Amino acid sequence: MKSVVAVIAISMPLAAQWLNFPTKGIPRTPDGKPNLSAPAPKTADGKPDLSGMWEGNFKYLANLAADLKPEEVPLQPWAAALVKERVSLAHAREESPANCLPSGLPRLYSTPFPYKILQNPAMTIILYENFGVYRQIFTDGRELPKDPQPSWLGYSVGKWEGDTFVVDTIGFNGKTWLDQMGHPQTEATHLTERFRRRDFGHMELQITVDDPKAYTKPWTVRQDQRLVADTELLEMVCAENEKDLAHLGGK
Amino acid sequence: MFVAIVLAVISAPLSAQWLHYPTAGVPKTPSGLPNLGAPAPRTADGKPDLSGIWEAENRIHDAGGAAGNPTELPISLELINIAASLKEGLPYQPWAAALVKQRSAGIGKDYPHSRCVPPGVPEIDVLPEFRKIVQTPGLLLMLQEFNASYRQIFTDGRPLPMDPNPSWNGYSIGHWEGDTLVVETAGFRDDLWLDVNGDPLTSAAKVTERFRRLNFGNMEIEVTVDDPKAYTRPWTIKLHHYLVLNTELLDYICLENEKDIAHLK
Repeated sequence: MKSVVAVIAISMPLAAQWLNFPTKGIPRTPDGKPNLSAPAPKTADGKPDLSGMWEGNFKYLANLAADLKPEEVPLQPWAAALVKERVSLAHAREESPANCLPSGLPRLYSTPFPYKILQNPAMTIILYENFGVYRQIFTDGRELPKDPQPSWLGYSVGKWEGDTFVVDTIGFNGKTWLDQMGHPQTEATHLTERFRRRDFGHMELQITVDDPKAYTKPWTVRQDQRLVADTELLEMVCAENEKDLAHLGGK
Repeated sequence: MFVAIVLAVISAPLSAQWLHYPTAGVPKTPSGLPNLGAPAPRTADGKPDLSGIWEAENRIHDAGGAAGNPTELPISLELINIAASLKEGLPYQPWAAALVKQRSAGIGKDYPHSRCVPPGVPEIDVLPEFRKIVQTPGLLLMLQEFNASYRQIFTDGRPLPMDPNPSWNGYSIGHWEGDTLVVETAGFRDDLWLDVNGDPLTSAAKVTERFRRLNFGNMEIEVTVDDPKAYTRPWTIKLHHYLVLNTELLDYICLENEKDIAHLK
């Protein structure tokens, strides 16, 4: 039952016509296939260039902590009670994606939709196919704002630590769930994403959730991201012909 | 009544807390004010740089007040009627003329944008929310406050696809003609609205936008709609955009706490 609901909630036009356009600058093997184990490209300033289309892992959609033992997710008592209730599917229709609202972070990496990173000198931009939302990560040296406007994707600044791009985000609106299980995210969240492009086709993403309101201490997961070559983002308009919500549980 | 509905549909949280952060690289007058009449900046390859946060010229400032439904959001004439500046109106095919009559009789209730779907092109050029242009080699990006959405314009020399997936925003490519960025878009759905009036756009359409940054603070967008299915000949309008300084984009997620749709039946 649970997996059926999960599949309905994320249904999308995968059968749609893909845009086949060879990605420029991809190293290729003699047979013309992308050489995904070639070295990671670098920008003019010598930093790894994360630009490209990537996909995360669907495995974490149901449970962001899928690779952790249950006791490694340090839920506050109220949050543990909430997850127990949400996992029963009694609240499925309260999830933001079920209402065509953004799935939030880091959940945007746990969907089957690709995303595109564009690394520019003062700002890195991420375009997510899921809900067609963008995200700006400022790298011009500014600090995180003191009192940001709460928003679905928060306010992000990035910096380099060696070859790792470290993105700090605050200012979440607390309306999203980290996963379908219902791990909560409150407005107190400070999210840290550490991107390390190991080679041309593979990137490690380490995510640390520091949300003292919902968890007794910060916790970290690691997800592998894969490069997606020779295609483009498609338009995803959730509000178009939406039929799922009426079939989900909750108020 | 009509105006009231329109304003309800496009209301946005303009009173929200703005993000104050000085825009880098703005030329100043001797008195220290931004010099918006300074020449347009250029990228390393010598082309005009269209990058920046822009807003559409908005001449309807008090319509909401007059209708007893005050709004903080000035809107553009073209959002209501894309052909507001054309004295002779639009060269409709007969079926299109009949459709517009029917759609406008519905005082905007079937307007797709009121269901929070994308506005499409060129309506995206007349929305009241800010948008940021980020010009990079090979790709020009438009980041829109509306639905925190984006539009990609490929400038890497690729052609328009032969059989694109029909979409709300189409598929866009751009090239430079002198100092003008010429953006061509095709691959639209067959049932689009160009404005609240219901002027149609079909899958046969090709829309050409010619972006010209006149100086630091002003941009002109000349839009030509060539849609032989809906119109007997191509037609052209001119839009004006202003640079917006020292702020940032805010999320405007249209479906969040949405209360209008129930009243549009």
